[in-house]
Amino acid sequence: MDQVDSLLKRPRAYENIDGVGELNIGFMCLSFALLMWLQVHTPEHSIWNRMYMLFIWVGLMLLASYFGSKAFKKHITYPRTGFVKYRTPDSKWPLIAVMVLASVVATVAAAGAVLAARLHWNMVPALPFGLLIAASYAFGFARTVRWKWAVAASILLGSLAIAALPPELTGTLAHGSWATAMFRAESIGSYLLCALLYGAIFLISGGITFWLYLRHTQAPAEEANEPANADVQ
Amino acid sequence: MNRQTQTFNELDRVIHEPGRLMIVALLFAVDSCDFLYLQHETEMNKGTLSSHLSRLEEAGYVEVEKTYRGRIPQTLLRLTEDGRKAFQKYRKKLKKAL
Repeated sequence: MDQVDSLLKRPRAYENIDGVGELNIGFMCLSFALLMWLQVHTPEHSIWNRMYMLFIWVGLMLLASYFGSKAFKKHITYPRTGFVKYRTPDSKWPLIAVMVLASVVATVAAAGAVLAARLHWNMVPALPFGLLIAASYAFGFARTVRWKWAVAASILLGSLAIAALPPELTGTLAHGSWATAMFRAESIGSYLLCALLYGAIFLISGGITFWLYLRHTQAPAEEANEPANADVQ
Repeated sequence: MNRQTQTFNELDRVIHEPGRLMIVALLFAVDSCDFLYLQHETEMNKGTLSSHLSRLEEAGYVEVEKTYRGRIPQTLLRLTEDGRKAFQKYRKKLKKAL
């Protein structure tokens, strides 16, 4: 019975067999870090600090991520290990639950940001993000692949290291910025370091997964997807 | 004949075969997939996989659709509504028997 249950979970695990999910998240984290850096280090009224720029940036990132992974799957994954179309849930409740959870997470993150600004404390931005991302990673990726627990641990340890950095050090990342009039420089630096750290970790982990995938799968042959038995055709 | 043996005897023989059980379980979790995916996940050779799929198709549990991915032929496989119901029933009975 357990074997049947594990078979039922395999198609979900297949979604990240090539590491594209992690590469996507890594790309997004680094893009956010770049946008944050541009916002902090350009004048207050520059184009990077306009609200619409945030929407354009996020929109472009989502488009690049969506079409990028689609192309990746189409040209690399499907010809090597096959195509899967996932089922859409029969009920809308799982989607609503995810949206409610995302809203709670966003509220907690916003509260963390406000606290960080008020408390002059590196720990506030780095720790909740670290815990949240490590837990989500463990749930989403590490459950199915054992070595990825090391990645979850490195997210957590990296966040702890950022939290433990002296405020003067993290503050240098936002030194001289207009944004320090609104937020503490050390908090901005802490967020920037978190985004860079998570981006780098996800890219490395996704890259290793992709390399292992290429090593363990064969390049497609022309007739690879053809059943041998005429009955199925 | 005790109840457990009777429940075992009532199990759907088409699904109960280990190879076909693997195929049906994988298809149950997705909307559709291609032949290559099933071959990769089950590690069966083309001939064995094809014969299992033919048996499942005969029973009306699997739908086979022939399409093309670019110029390469692609065989898409999907569990039918009957196949889904049969697998759910099979799981319930197996749970009961164990």
